[in-house]
Amino acid sequence: MVFNSIEFLVFLPLVVLLYYLLPHKGRWLMLLAASCVFYMWFVPKYILILLVTIVVDYSAGLLMERFADQPKKKKTFFIVSIVSTLAVLLIFKYLNFLTANLDQLCASLGMETHLMTHIILPIGLSFHTFQSMSYVIEVYRGHQKAERHFGYYALYVMFFPQLVTGPIERPANLLRQLHEEKKFDYVNISKGMRLILFGFFVKMVVADHLGEYVDEVYGHLEEYNSWSVLGCMVFYSFQIYCDFFGYSTIALGSAKLMGFDLMDNFKTPYLAKNIAEFWHRWHISLSTWFRDYVYIPLGGSRVKFGRWAFNILVVFVLSGIWHGAAWTFLLWGFAHGLLHIVEKALRSRFPEKEPRHKWLKISVDALCVVKTFVLVTLFWVMFRATDFEHLKAIFETAFTNFDGGEQMSVKPGMWIYLGGLILFDILLRNTRFDAWCDDIPLALRWLIYAVLVFMVIACSSVANFPFIYFQF
Amino acid sequence: MKKLLIRIGMVLVMLVVLNWVYSIWFFEKDLRKHSDIVELSWQVTDDSCRIIYLGESSNNHYGDEEQNHRKISGFTADYFPTVKMGDLTKSAGHAQTYYYMLKHVPASSTVETVVVTMNLRSFGPLWIYSRLETALRKQLVLLEDYPPLVNRFLLAFKAYPILNDEEWDALAYEHRHKDPLDFPYDFEFDDNYAWDSAMAWRGWCDFDGKYDPEMTWMACYYIKSYGFSITDDNPRVRDFDAIVELCRERGWNLVFNLLAEDVDKANELGGKDLMFLMKRNRDYLLRRYGNLDGVTVVNNLNLVRDVNFIDQEWTTEHYYEEGRRIIADHLAQTLKIFYPEDYHNPDSLVLDKGHYFFAETRALDRQRPYSYALMLTADSIRPDWGMVNVAFEIKQVDSLSRVVFAVEKLDAQGEKAIDSYDVKAQVKKTDEWDFATFALPIDSTFRSAQIIKLYVHNFSDSPVQIRNLDVSFRPAYLKARVKAQTYKSVDLQDGK
Repeated sequence: MVFNSIEFLVFLPLVVLLYYLLPHKGRWLMLLAASCVFYMWFVPKYILILLVTIVVDYSAGLLMERFADQPKKKKTFFIVSIVSTLAVLLIFKYLNFLTANLDQLCASLGMETHLMTHIILPIGLSFHTFQSMSYVIEVYRGHQKAERHFGYYALYVMFFPQLVTGPIERPANLLRQLHEEKKFDYVNISKGMRLILFGFFVKMVVADHLGEYVDEVYGHLEEYNSWSVLGCMVFYSFQIYCDFFGYSTIALGSAKLMGFDLMDNFKTPYLAKNIAEFWHRWHISLSTWFRDYVYIPLGGSRVKFGRWAFNILVVFVLSGIWHGAAWTFLLWGFAHGLLHIVEKALRSRFPEKEPRHKWLKISVDALCVVKTFVLVTLFWVMFRATDFEHLKAIFETAFTNFDGGEQMSVKPGMWIYLGGLILFDILLRNTRFDAWCDDIPLALRWLIYAVLVFMVIACSSVANFPFIYFQF
Repeated sequence: MKKLLIRIGMVLVMLVVLNWVYSIWFFEKDLRKHSDIVELSWQVTDDSCRIIYLGESSNNHYGDEEQNHRKISGFTADYFPTVKMGDLTKSAGHAQTYYYMLKHVPASSTVETVVVTMNLRSFGPLWIYSRLETALRKQLVLLEDYPPLVNRFLLAFKAYPILNDEEWDALAYEHRHKDPLDFPYDFEFDDNYAWDSAMAWRGWCDFDGKYDPEMTWMACYYIKSYGFSITDDNPRVRDFDAIVELCRERGWNLVFNLLAEDVDKANELGGKDLMFLMKRNRDYLLRRYGNLDGVTVVNNLNLVRDVNFIDQEWTTEHYYEEGRRIIADHLAQTLKIFYPEDYHNPDSLVLDKGHYFFAETRALDRQRPYSYALMLTADSIRPDWGMVNVAFEIKQVDSLSRVVFAVEKLDAQGEKAIDSYDVKAQVKKTDEWDFATFALPIDSTFRSAQIIKLYVHNFSDSPVQIRNLDVSFRPAYLKARVKAQTYKSVDLQDGK
């Protein structure tokens, strides 16, 4: 079930109503059943994969706790759990990629092989496997007590608002909340509705309209000039942001209706002054996952520069591969890692000096924001390109075809939507939409609601753009 | 809770206001953008049509080599020159599309009769679950009966089936596999899929028993397309039922125009079993709708022969001109019931009011060298008429055409005399519409003739098209309506 569908708009109020009508002890079952329905709306049989992961990791958690005093056994169960979860990921997400590359390698050696598999990626696999792994790691480290109730554990992995595209939750936050008894609170309903409304605006009005231009230009590069492709790169930066940010906001809002607080996934990432800051603001749940479970175990930043650079590259390459099984994603992750290293090297060589005047500082900060945005935008091309040929064609057209081809014609409405988004981004730089609304007068607040409701209904794109992160 | 109820009330008020704003300033624009079929429905009012013809590509499809691109609806309109007829043509459309189109014909329209294309194939799973359905259904969302803002909300939140090609194919497969075939005798296969698979496996063989892979593919395609049994649960049946109800509510005469299928090929490829199902389905439709008050079903199923089907490699209802004309003629005979006074056979129209205007485009070539003829009897030539003004548009492929406007006079003794007026001097352009006019005197030979026929004649091998033929009889003292020139008659015998 996708958020921007009639089905979800019927499903969600029903679930919320049932949630508050049921006694606390029955809620987990209803939420689990609802989450199963939500997930099975896509391809029902894939729930079996989810079930395997849940059973293995649930059992591993219990066994690790039981053999806490026998480190070898504990480690064995930990490794079995991690390997089996990664095996699921490997089979369903990376096997097609690996076999296709093996075929190509063999072909280049003069051997004809047909190893290529055609496995369909179950929706949200990368998200729920990572969420499940975070539980196992936390239990292994002794930071989290193993969950004894299978239903609660299953619900922790399958909680429908964040099941398919995150935020990737930690047991300390979500599992704890699942056990808590939530009482009906108007504030939660209000905040949840605000977030959902804002999420719909960002996804359906801004992201989907931008997607129409991006698909058109990237799909017909030969027809457009460099200015159009460059414009399209910027549009894609906003499209992917709005698409993912929109989903995360709706997820947060949906959970909030039932009193659950999910972690924030975005904090105005395009206002970041450098790439490190960007990753503190973009897809925060994934960044912190890699930080806690890969980067720090590798040594983090408390090592020599060379080792640190290696750690960074490992983390970003893994992050790239996590997104998609393609060389372009790997390159995208590598580019981010490299930029991170270069920026740090430059900072240590040329330490930043605080400008004397306020306006000078603002100007320097603005330049840094623009610089980071430009670089991130260029890197998004790797993320969007279907393969290396497409990537090459995009960059070639972007920088060599200023005189030929058509100019992308952008409707005035698009600038209004984009302007609205940027304005909101600036206004919400230190807060979230639901909290921001608390601070404005009632009449203005309702005017904003009315405008957003109207835009979501009357101005949303009618093109069908699935959430971009669904493919991961 | 009180706070919540107040907020719900505020939301409702807000939605009412927003609906008003949307209806006033945005809805029509959205309709034109996302549901353009509604423009066709609106056009009906603009054009003051009395008959409307709803069709899919069978109506507007013509052969690549054809010069005459007129539709079935156009040919039908020729039979009723005094009745305004419009067409609402939507490629790949079907009963559900037509229902929504009809629903949006404004109440102020002058429509009296509705002709709805009934395509036998459209009842089959291959069409019901066609890959085009997502786009078609999306077009209908804004046309629902809800308030405009609700319709836009449904469109925004994708309240239509969004399936990809594979998913539609899977649905079609499921129904081909699941839906039973209704044979009154023992039939080898339980469902369409089994039948199709057996044909693919065994292959189609000609009279000499020789396997033909291309014909096997076609035979499978014909089985897929026609090998089903219509039941009361068929979605298209429900749509046609809804059309019947709607037409009753609106007080319209309803004619279902059951299109011709290539039964020659169906017989050759699918044999008696496939023919049985086609006839069974036809009978089902005739029985279900033919007996209803206010509903007429025109059965064209086997009227068009194989040679008149444009697509010879798969199943369509795309006809060459002759096929389109045959269906139009058959349909016109039914419409004649509603408009007996207005009916004229376009091939022998009797002029009775002194002015005749015919918009139809007609191709004149070696096979069909004559245009529609205006036939007059001697007593219809009024004494005060002194001149006949003739004007028509003509398009020639090259300058080799030899076209004349002919006045054929038959006297009491049965002697025939033809005066022919060459258009060559006036028409020089090729591949563009040009204009020819003639002013012909009504002399003693006119008055002494028993029967007079007026028509355009192409006596060359080079084809031409004509349209907008305007013939006006005028009193001698009035100036001609068009810039008239008199031309000498040319001798057809030597072609000068």
